[in-house]
Amino acid sequence: MDGACCGPGYASPQEAIQAPREKLLYTIAIYTGTGIQKPDYLATVDVDPESPTYSQVIHRLEMPGIGDELHHMGWNACSSCHDDGSMSRKYLILPGVRSNKLHIVDTATDPRAPRLHKVVDGAEIKAKADLSGPHTVHCLGSEIIISFLGDAKGEAPGGYLHLDKEFNIVGRWENSMGDIKFGYDFWYQPRHNVMVSSEWAAPNTFMPGFDLEEVGHLKYGRELHFWDFEKREPIESFYLGEDGLLPLEVKFHHDPDSTHGFCGAALSTNVIHWWKDSDDAWKWEKIIDVENEMHPEWPIPLPGVMSAILISMDDKYLYLNNWLHGDMRQYDISDPHNPKLTGQVFMGGLLGKAPIVNGVEVAGGPQMFQLSLDGRRLYVTTSLFSTWDNQFYPEIREKGGVMVMIDCDPENGGMKINEDFIVDFGKEPNGPSRCHESRYPGGDCTSDIWL
Amino acid sequence: MTTHTVTISNRDGATFEVDARRPLLDTLREQGVDLPFGCKYGGCITCAAKLKTGTVDQRRQVALNNRQIANGYVILCVARATSDITLDIGVESHDKLYRNPFLDPLKPHELKADIATPKEG
Ligand code: FES
Repeated sequence: MDGACCGPGYASPQEAIQAPREKLLYTIAIYTGTGIQKPDYLATVDVDPESPTYSQVIHRLEMPGIGDELHHMGWNACSSCHDDGSMSRKYLILPGVRSNKLHIVDTATDPRAPRLHKVVDGAEIKAKADLSGPHTVHCLGSEIIISFLGDAKGEAPGGYLHLDKEFNIVGRWENSMGDIKFGYDFWYQPRHNVMVSSEWAAPNTFMPGFDLEEVGHLKYGRELHFWDFEKREPIESFYLGEDGLLPLEVKFHHDPDSTHGFCGAALSTNVIHWWKDSDDAWKWEKIIDVENEMHPEWPIPLPGVMSAILISMDDKYLYLNNWLHGDMRQYDISDPHNPKLTGQVFMGGLLGKAPIVNGVEVAGGPQMFQLSLDGRRLYVTTSLFSTWDNQFYPEIREKGGVMVMIDCDPENGGMKINEDFIVDFGKEPNGPSRCHESRYPGGDCTSDIWL
Repeated sequence: MTTHTVTISNRDGATFEVDARRPLLDTLREQGVDLPFGCKYGGCITCAAKLKTGTVDQRRQVALNNRQIANGYVILCVARATSDITLDIGVESHDKLYRNPFLDPLKPHELKADIATPKEG
């Protein structure tokens, strides 16, 4: 099949890189935990430099209830359906981590002003699938899979909810959770029949906030799990130990033939690399280790807290954040065993290295990010999770979150904050809100998987 | 029906009569008090309020550590009043709820109940 095909997305990562530049971007913005009794919402941000409303929020779709804690999101269809003319990338799925609801948002009818299509009730998910604490959304063909971090009572390990293309609950996706203790993120590589999943903690542990001492009491994860994707069951786990405390985001290379993948261990602030070796066995190694920094007034050294990673569509660069240190980094991973630091910028953070960006005081640090398909523009937001924000960056209540754009050089490496772009969520009409994950209507660097 | 009086000090001392057998979140919301909540089973901390006087039974909560409990926090979605009580509600009452764990570590007796060790001495 070539690019003239009919379904959503692109025939290949190479074709995705050639796609037209993004003009709109969706990001969730929350009031949960801020003291403002308003619904969380999906903000449309104008990212077209030719537009008079460039770098502004141009639409806000409020959720029907208060207190969802919108967090991550995902599409109903991606390039895995590229050969299926009956599918289109029309609906964005917005789970509420606290409310357990799934908001299905139609972004196609009017991309500038998305509208609510349907809500999958949180109580129904608890009753039918015994799941709570939704996180990552992926689609595979016309099926949708969502990781949940807890059972209906908020205890780990949770499991995976399976929805059909009309967003009806099919039931649990997995046949077994094996010995997995916790859930979080997942990504799969169908040509190798493999899925990899990571571990945060039970909702009852992470939702109230972060007690560092609970890491030592094994309330947080430190393992990666390899699944037989077709059999829907885990087959091998890697114990990462102190190198892999809180292994959060997992990403495979976009190249569907590759077995290389990466995980950011948030608290250890390491990047873990895995691959299938010549002996056909899965191997892992630590390839990046961000040193803790001493804060002049604090008793415990400060880890970076690498809460997210992202791989450019050409698989050449890995981007990571250090939410507490305040820097975004770019590594050349052309040789995935030997990454090279090629770019770094500071925005916010607790070390005081860049308290103001483009005239806006930054509360929080770089947290979630989305890269343009061509690899040149990285949009970065600052809030992690309401209760954790309140612990580390209490001033974010008054200041709200910000979205910054970093210009990236995919040819020679390097990154630089774009001086013409900033979206200050501290100035939102209902008061300061906090922005988190972002997606582009045409697909992005964290959505698409190729069969 | 046993009832108790709830006084909300940061809502101009407004008072409400509540059923002693039902969670405070439900009985207060039914009487028009605007309160944040999430899970409704005591696990997510969204509904935390500060108890200033009186006593509650909140044995079902799993969100608070022992330091937060010592600082007076109660989880309204599972807490029931066991006497007349006075509360501060909403985010304004959360001044001591959130703590930077690197700046201000917990002592072993201040952890959550299932992993705390008794205070020495
Ligand atoms: S609503 Fe979640 S702890 Fe009360």
